[in-house]
Amino acid sequence: MLEGTSGDHPVQPQPRQGHLEQMTQGRVQIPSSMAGEEDFFLEEKRFKQHCEEFVKHSQQIGDGWEWRTNKDLGDGYLSKTHFQVRNRHIAQDLREKTSDNIEETLLAHVEESLDDSQVAGVCTTEEVIRYEYHVLYSSSYQVPVLYFRACFLDGRPLTLEEIWGSVHACYQDRLQEGPWDTITQQEHPILGQPFFVLHPCRTNEFISTVLTGPWKHNRHKNYIILWLSTVGPVVGLSVPLSYAKVAPEQNSSTDSAERALN
Amino acid sequence: MTDDKDVLRDVWFGRIPTCFTLYQDEITEREAEPYYLLLPRISYLTLVTDKVKKHFQKVMRQEEVSEIWFEYEGTPLKWHYPIGLLFDLHASNTALPWSITVHFKNFPEKDLLHCHSKDVIEAHFMACIKEADALKHKSQVINEMQKKDHKQLWMGLQNDKFEQFWAINRKLMEYPPEDNGFRYIPFRIYQATTERPFIQKLFRPIASGGQLHTLGDLLKDVCPSAVTPEDGEQKTQVMIHGIEPMLETPIQWLSEHMSYPDNFLHISIIPRPTD
Repeated sequence: MLEGTSGDHPVQPQPRQGHLEQMTQGRVQIPSSMAGEEDFFLEEKRFKQHCEEFVKHSQQIGDGWEWRTNKDLGDGYLSKTHFQVRNRHIAQDLREKTSDNIEETLLAHVEESLDDSQVAGVCTTEEVIRYEYHVLYSSSYQVPVLYFRACFLDGRPLTLEEIWGSVHACYQDRLQEGPWDTITQQEHPILGQPFFVLHPCRTNEFISTVLTGPWKHNRHKNYIILWLSTVGPVVGLSVPLSYAKVAPEQNSSTDSAERALN
Repeated sequence: MTDDKDVLRDVWFGRIPTCFTLYQDEITEREAEPYYLLLPRISYLTLVTDKVKKHFQKVMRQEEVSEIWFEYEGTPLKWHYPIGLLFDLHASNTALPWSITVHFKNFPEKDLLHCHSKDVIEAHFMACIKEADALKHKSQVINEMQKKDHKQLWMGLQNDKFEQFWAINRKLMEYPPEDNGFRYIPFRIYQATTERPFIQKLFRPIASGGQLHTLGDLLKDVCPSAVTPEDGEQKTQVMIHGIEPMLETPIQWLSEHMSYPDNFLHISIIPRPTD
């Protein structure tokens, strides 16, 4: 697609731009109909509330989420670990033995890779990857942020390229438009260790496609469930349908405090 | 009286004399001489050490070389922190030159981010700038810029071009005339002794009554242990770019003049030397 004509005369080919940028002629500007910066922002107190409800439901259905508190500052995050089986294609002559007891070490929720093509001259072996997902609150963007790390059973961590490659097929196009703006390695702000992050500046893009109006009109929904069920699948995390039953309690004091802040 | 603009130059051109030594267990074909370099405080280790890498690779076999990483007295150095921050936090009260050990093996996966190319540094740098603008201007200024302006910020840093960088960065330092400062101040406070890598919170530069908040106000609010108790002795130093700004300094001024190129104020709380 061609760039807009805003006075730029690029000498070299520019990197492909997302469709939002094309609409706004090379300037990255969110159209005013979507603008409402307050519209999709989540206040920290409400973030914690919604996380509490989320964990409660997770416990009821055995989905494995827990809340972890940092003792220094009292903030915290949601955490879940699960194992995923992935098919890997390797050439016939480099066939590896798969471990006999892999099945026994898997936890309840094992998801199979969608990639099961049969390629002539290649056999597939299954690999188990341990994923650890954390949901933290970003005070800078006032949205939740998804951090995750992944490693093979022998402890070898996945590389950024392997992570990009494992992004669900439906989201590959969007990822290719700007991989460096989407998933990168970053330092976990509470643990100080390397994690992969789904960039929060794109959160509003994702969320706005899910909600039909500004957040104000959707307060009865649990933000974490809405957000996680939208962004989670991008990086291999699914949110069972039963979460749709969860509805936050109406808390009038938090509502009026929020209005005062905005 | 020094012009405020001189402060911008002093910050940009700050340097730390450094001695790089190859880790003794690295396998070499002949002896590796140490390599001396003046490191820019405002840049990142992996951006300015190509010459260091070349120097040591000359005495090593190709197969012994994988991703370079740096360590100071046993602590892996986080390349994604600005060099000046790393020095202030870990070595500010030690003798110069700063002695850094160079490794090419056993990359510490649990401690350090990978840095396979300059693209990684650029992505990290731009992500910090975007986050800073989210705090200062609800992302309005950064989003209104064209892609070439973003590129100019990065090229200015990469090529050590003060004018090129500030031609664009000055826009990120402006605010509407009706306000007296940014919406929130982008800052991070680091202490080597804590498990938590840094403290970052929302903090307004202007009080509800219109007064300017100071550095002391910020510390009292976010990290009270760093501010002197009335009766006690000040056990810590508050350091930015190798100096201890007065606690009465308005935080808005500090944000405009002493931020790093990523637009964050990176503040170190370190033990005060006892001599």
